[in-house]
Amino acid sequence: MQQQQTSNPLSSNASRRDMLKLMGLGGAALGLGSLNLGRRAMAQDMSVAFWATATLDIADKWQKFAELTGVTPQFTDNGNDIGPVVARLAAGNANDLFDVGGFQGGAEKELAKQGHIAAWDLSKIPNYASVWQWAKDIPYLQLDGKQIGIPTVVNADSIIYRPDKLGKVDSYGVIFDPKLKGRVAMEDAWINSAIFTAMYLKEAENQPIKDPGNLSESELGLVMEFLIKHKTDGQFRTFWNGWEQGVQLVANEEVDAMTGWEPIVYEGRKRGLQVEYAAPVEGYEGWGNNTVLLKGAVDRGTSDAAHAFVNGLLGGFYGCELGATRGYMVPSDKNLEYAKAHPDEYKADEVEKLAKHVQAKFAGKVYWQNTRPDNFQLYEEWWQKLRNA
Amino acid sequence: MPFRRTLLIAPPLAVVALIGVVPLALVVLWSFWTWDPATYWIKPDLSLAGYAGILNAGRWTVILSTLVKSFGAALLCSLLAYPLSYAIHVMAGPRIQMLLLALMTIPFFTSYLIRSFSWRLVLGRTGAINETLQALHITSAPLDWLLFSNFAVFIGFVASYLPFAVFPLLLSMRRIPPELMAAARDLGAGFWRAFFTILVPLTYAGLFAGFLFVFVMVAGSSTEVQMLGGAGASIVSVMINDVMRVANYPLAFAISVVMLITIFGMVLIGNAFFKLSGLFGEDAE
Repeated sequence: MQQQQTSNPLSSNASRRDMLKLMGLGGAALGLGSLNLGRRAMAQDMSVAFWATATLDIADKWQKFAELTGVTPQFTDNGNDIGPVVARLAAGNANDLFDVGGFQGGAEKELAKQGHIAAWDLSKIPNYASVWQWAKDIPYLQLDGKQIGIPTVVNADSIIYRPDKLGKVDSYGVIFDPKLKGRVAMEDAWINSAIFTAMYLKEAENQPIKDPGNLSESELGLVMEFLIKHKTDGQFRTFWNGWEQGVQLVANEEVDAMTGWEPIVYEGRKRGLQVEYAAPVEGYEGWGNNTVLLKGAVDRGTSDAAHAFVNGLLGGFYGCELGATRGYMVPSDKNLEYAKAHPDEYKADEVEKLAKHVQAKFAGKVYWQNTRPDNFQLYEEWWQKLRNA
Repeated sequence: MPFRRTLLIAPPLAVVALIGVVPLALVVLWSFWTWDPATYWIKPDLSLAGYAGILNAGRWTVILSTLVKSFGAALLCSLLAYPLSYAIHVMAGPRIQMLLLALMTIPFFTSYLIRSFSWRLVLGRTGAINETLQALHITSAPLDWLLFSNFAVFIGFVASYLPFAVFPLLLSMRRIPPELMAAARDLGAGFWRAFFTILVPLTYAGLFAGFLFVFVMVAGSSTEVQMLGGAGASIVSVMINDVMRVANYPLAFAISVVMLITIFGMVLIGNAFFKLSGLFGEDAE
């Protein structure tokens, strides 16, 4: 059935998307010499345009990856922020330019329902069998029995703290402790701060919260009112934003405790600080960066290359490299297998140590970060109220 | 000839229309469309929902506080820029003038992010100011309000945008014939009388242009507030970013339209009083 086109290019979503696609194609054509499409057109082997969070880039090591897998990835940073990523898929030209996406988990089901991503064929990804079961169970990876996401990088976040000031910390209660007024911080992002607070309220204060990663309207109200009260009481020194700011807060002793990413602890220690990462009784906030098959790859016939690429991501080399350079975990035993088989490249004991460390976190309670909870626009509205409180 | 003149003006006008007017017109149009959850995009169902959203969650207070911050920073920069420009214009010789102007532009070789970040290092608990105050026994503990406060935000604004107030002022001061001030003094006017009755009125255009530059730049800024402001501190750019993250495009466009109208109105009103055209010579004499 052919869709009737209207004369006004802005009069329908479909035609607007078409116009944006044309604009995207025009831009791509202009930059053919330097953009991925140009390189892809020239490549003889299988090539995949990988559009993912910058920290998933292994730079010059992609060459080695290509030698091992027969797939040459062309990496493009997607900025990590799921809002613009979704917008570019829904109304922009992302599906014309890229084959595989690497997104923070949560939006997969929406993207699949809207037809922007396609299902993976697991029979073409033999290395998927080696993925740890709890990673396979991430709640955003399947829709109607189809696999729409592959867990590629996982970890779990909690609290960064100074034991010299606070002793041993094992609860998010430290963040809301009035004795630490003005000496704590949270991230300036509801995606993380709302779930941490919900976990605390659910586990430590027995509040009626079902899933901290996907709060109902009333649960969200409860969580945000709690945060607003503490903000107006002057509890938080600041809400931090980005890697450098997070490190600076710790390194310059602006705070004694803050919710945040584990690599900040390592950076703090490098700078000679006594910093620890808590194992909270309320659990960790698990997060996954999952690879998705963009619909454009299926349309262009590059789906097989995309499958081979993802199989390569789970093959061991990529996991070893990402672990060595960023401390990130590809949830698979293949990393250790690869390190043992290539002792000249990676130290097996370090790969094993990282694997055990991450697995230990997931052995306990974990609530998954969700970039697109059901009430996501309400989250933003509450976050505004928090800002303005 | 009128035709030739039109022909010459047409290309720049077309460029301005293409990169300025058309995107703005689209922003205004889309602010009345409706967000479609099925496509994550907007559809042309006319609605005022975007504008109604401004009244929710205290968003209007962010617009108001942005305007207050912009006005305050622009006023502060103008007040600081005037004596600075005067010193550069009158007191410094040509070489020193070049040196001072160069010094003012050097910070712009780095990004706003780096500049704001360096203020965190200066104003923080273990920063240079707190360390000095404690070493001199002026304070016994770090002053927390130096950082993550409106004070820090205004420091960041002034450090970032002061040169934008200085340069138009210098330009307008240079357009004043030196004989005018000399004549005033010959006729018995003291420094302050000559300053307020001759220099200041003849530099209104430059003063307003500088004020406007700073106002507009602060209204569109986010780095200083995010890096130096208190917990969750906001400004319009941060709010638009938050809204765009959840794909609420009509609301983001509506906020932009309100800011556009406010700033455009301010330009028109200011121009009626201070005649920006004077900066280019028409009203200087």
